[in-house]
Amino acid sequence: MKRKERQSEMMVAPCWKAIAAAIICLGSLLGCATAQASGELKFCLRTEPKTFNPLKVEDEASGTIRYLTGGVLVRVNRQSQELEPELAQTWKLSKDGRQISFHLRSGLSFSDGTTFSAEDVAYTVQQLMDPALHSPTGDAFRSGTGNVETKILSPTQISIRFPAPVAGLDRLFDQVAILSGHSPKKEMAVLGPFMVADYKAGSTVLLKRNPNYWKSDEQGRKLPYLDSIRLDIQPNRDVEMLRFKRGELDLINSLDSEYFDKLATTSPQLVHDAGASLDSEQLWFNEVAKSPIPKYKKAWFHSANFRRAISEAINREDLSRVVFHGHAQPAAGPFSPANKFWFNAKLKPQTYSPDGALKALQSDGFRMENGTLKDKDGNEVVFSIITNAGNKYRERMAVLIQEDLQKIGIHVNVVTLDFPSLIERMTQSFDYEAILLGLTNVDLDPNGEMNVWLSSSENHQWNPQQKTPETSWEAEIDRQMRAQASSSDLKKRKEAFDRVQEIVVDQEPFIFLINKNALSAVSTSVHGAAPVILSPQTFWNAERLAVSAK
Amino acid sequence: MAFKNSQEKTLLSAHISVRYADKPVLRAVQLKIQCGEVLGLVGQSGSGKSTLAMAILGLLEKKRTHTEGNIRFQDSELLQLSERELRALRGRAIALVLQSPLSSLNPALKIRTQLKEAWRAHASGTSEECMTAIRACMASVSLPSDDEFLRKYPSQMSVGQAQRVLIAMAVMHRPALLIADEATSALDVITQSEILALFRHLNRSTGMAILYISHDLASVAGICDRIAILHQGEIVECGTTEQIFTNPGHNYTQRLMAAIPRVLSAGANPQRKSEAAAAR
Amino acid sequence: MSLGRKLACAALVLVMSASAAANWLAPAGYSKQYREATNAPPSHTHWLGTDEIGRDRFARVLYGTRISLLLAPAAALLSTLMAAFFGGLAGYLGGAWARTAMAVTDLFLSLPWLFLLIAARALMPLNVSPLISVLVTFLLLGLLGWTTAARVLCTTAASLRTSDFVRQARAAGLTGQRLFWMHVVPNLKPVLYAQFWISIPVFILSEANLGILGLGVAEPMPSWGSLLKELEGLVSVGEEPWKFAPLILLAVVVTSFQLLLSKQEEAA
Repeated sequence: MKRKERQSEMMVAPCWKAIAAAIICLGSLLGCATAQASGELKFCLRTEPKTFNPLKVEDEASGTIRYLTGGVLVRVNRQSQELEPELAQTWKLSKDGRQISFHLRSGLSFSDGTTFSAEDVAYTVQQLMDPALHSPTGDAFRSGTGNVETKILSPTQISIRFPAPVAGLDRLFDQVAILSGHSPKKEMAVLGPFMVADYKAGSTVLLKRNPNYWKSDEQGRKLPYLDSIRLDIQPNRDVEMLRFKRGELDLINSLDSEYFDKLATTSPQLVHDAGASLDSEQLWFNEVAKSPIPKYKKAWFHSANFRRAISEAINREDLSRVVFHGHAQPAAGPFSPANKFWFNAKLKPQTYSPDGALKALQSDGFRMENGTLKDKDGNEVVFSIITNAGNKYRERMAVLIQEDLQKIGIHVNVVTLDFPSLIERMTQSFDYEAILLGLTNVDLDPNGEMNVWLSSSENHQWNPQQKTPETSWEAEIDRQMRAQASSSDLKKRKEAFDRVQEIVVDQEPFIFLINKNALSAVSTSVHGAAPVILSPQTFWNAERLAVSAK
Repeated sequence: MAFKNSQEKTLLSAHISVRYADKPVLRAVQLKIQCGEVLGLVGQSGSGKSTLAMAILGLLEKKRTHTEGNIRFQDSELLQLSERELRALRGRAIALVLQSPLSSLNPALKIRTQLKEAWRAHASGTSEECMTAIRACMASVSLPSDDEFLRKYPSQMSVGQAQRVLIAMAVMHRPALLIADEATSALDVITQSEILALFRHLNRSTGMAILYISHDLASVAGICDRIAILHQGEIVECGTTEQIFTNPGHNYTQRLMAAIPRVLSAGANPQRKSEAAAAR
Repeated sequence: MSLGRKLACAALVLVMSASAAANWLAPAGYSKQYREATNAPPSHTHWLGTDEIGRDRFARVLYGTRISLLLAPAAALLSTLMAAFFGGLAGYLGGAWARTAMAVTDLFLSLPWLFLLIAARALMPLNVSPLISVLVTFLLLGLLGWTTAARVLCTTAASLRTSDFVRQARAAGLTGQRLFWMHVVPNLKPVLYAQFWISIPVFILSEANLGILGLGVAEPMPSWGSLLKELEGLVSVGEEPWKFAPLILLAVVVTSFQLLLSKQEEAA
């Protein structure tokens, strides 16, 4: 998984992982509500699903359908963030990180009645890695050249061997919905709790309960509780909101803070703020040596002291309070505290101190003259921050930063650009000074961010595609990232990535500003909902949701 | 008809052919206008009457039309003149009054502005002199020349008034030749007779020659000394009004005559023509 | 003077003097962020409340008025004059001129403007002051906004060229420039006025939309366009009526101008 610029709403295969096997506390709570409950759950897809083939999922809407219909070997519990067994009862990774063996449940069958066995897993893996299929999900598994070998040991045992070590291999299977190798219904034969019953292009996708779903709750009642899920295709957020208010929809998966507040004033029982999510917003300076910006500006941007001072002069509390109405947290570093395992708990958000920033700058030869900061050669400190037009939160953040930096005599020009122009400047011409953007993090594992942190990578945004690391700290990040990737020892990996986080926070190539909260809305008629920060926030436990008559 | 004392002198003599692209519009048309006479030019629509008028004024588009021959006016050869020289003649020595008075006046300008423009086109002087000239010509067409009237826009006047304003503009510089191109065709009968009377009056009082172009032989009769019949780009017959009416020579003229209600004869009041038409 | 004109006059005087006295009426300025009082309703300190990041809306409306009221009519005038000149002249001259003018306007209309404006933004340095940015934007709008009107004017002028009164005026000895200015231009006036008045609100809104391309007024400077953007996606109209202040102001100013000038036109 990659970190992706968030504008394009199209996430690369959101890493939706397994449903919790048992939420005991909820189970008892649900007991009465769901005894006779069933019903239909209704919510919106924001785009047309591009495919029903789980291996070809690229867009969020198709991802939603995959999550609700696909059966996976293992699943990341969206609440505990732990990996849990699903179709595989147990699994084992080899020491070298190249091989994984699964022990499958027996006696399961697909929605169309076809029996499930290790052959289907082998078929799925073969499809997944088939270059002709161009599976985006499969890309994460491609670690080196050579063939992937599957060995069926018995109908319930299979081992898969990759040509090179794949970091975090087990967790990647969270996104691999198992296909049937025999069913005439092809990908429409599923192992998940629901199956696609009807699809009207541009209008609705109707999912029905999978009668052959294998799970039961603690009382022995077959899952899922719901009879069906109706997914309306509705790109307009205002309409979605309106329909939710009218009770025509049961949930909204990710709300923005303005809608959240509006809804909260009238019906506080409907909204859920699950706290900081994995998404971050950050500012960075152009450190590309060949960029067409004045030399003296390059000197500022290359100075860690300068970057730290800017970071210190930005009031992150105000960003989250004013811009996001409090539904965001000051960011401590590259990983959000919401990432329970990987976040480096030693890191704290930068404290706001314009005086401290000014002092740091003065020690670097900058000085204040009539309210304007000048560098040691007398150049006024002026730079532009570009951000994508149309994103009001980002535009507002930029204006707040503009005023914050004015306090230390730095004049910022805020420029909003259309997204393609921004990307062109960011990745091709490098004709920019600073960029304010957000990244949607869809993976808990730092491996998903190799392409951001390696200095040779294209997405090493402040100075991409370096032949050899241009700074010692970037060389150190490269080393640590490679170390964590090549180890299957979690503790060692954690140590290495903790170190990366510390370096990033110290050098501030990305000035992390805030982590947005995961906001959602759930109707009171939905039972068993427990919104979390990981996607799909509200229906991650869809098999245990129930809807009572309104 | 009266006013024959200067008839011996030729004011304009034309001998021209005009083609639009390859289509001949006027074929070797010969026309003579004597000083002080009223010459009627009668023909159907499309016979080339207006083209002849425009050719005399030098207003045919040079790119699209091809003119051959000569037009002698007073002492100059019109077809040889430069645009600048022509401009100096237009409005001063040769004036034009068009058919539809309301569309021939600029709707966006007050009539005072338009009269002033017409004056300034050929005269220079103080605004008092200009106003004096305007008052004089307004008086000659029996229109008031008070401020209130002059402040009007064409749309605020009657058709008859507008036509008089146009005539006032045309006679302002006492032209030797006035070309009236269907100048009464758009008017109601009463106004028509009034305007015809005005033309007659101007002709007599100033000695101004008039080329009176019309499709309507009957209306021409009451005012013209001589009549020329234009048919398909050729002058088929030309003679005194009496000749034409009593003894039409050309087949086409006979057909034109036949189209006039019988009660009418040469010199008849055009008003009667329409009474007769109504009575039929 | 009719009541309508008096009212229009008073409204314009009020709006103009208020925006001229912005420094004095709103001493805190348009960019000061009252971060403790964001999105506030009107109060004695903030007469029109504050915006999403706590800036005084009244101050922003005053300063925005100053910018938009100076620049939008200027751009409208520029485009109208260009339309009058190119369209009117081409139509009046006719023939090859008219064909050329039509071809040029066709070309103009068929150009991918979004793309060209993006290119225009690319040519501009990133570090331009907000004022220069808004000046450039209105200049661009003025330079680009004339083509549609020019087509209308071209056909109008062409029909004027063959009209009786122009023929009559020619026969009266008028030629060239005098004919053009006296007889053609005055008759294009209604079209020109319409073009001018339509352009003003269109340009004000275009300026706001060009913000998407990094053109237009840059933060923190306000313009009517950027203020009107606040109304985007406003669901609850009734709850925050003061947010409509810029829209009402735009409507009042445009109507007042129209009232005032059209009456003058008639009286002239």
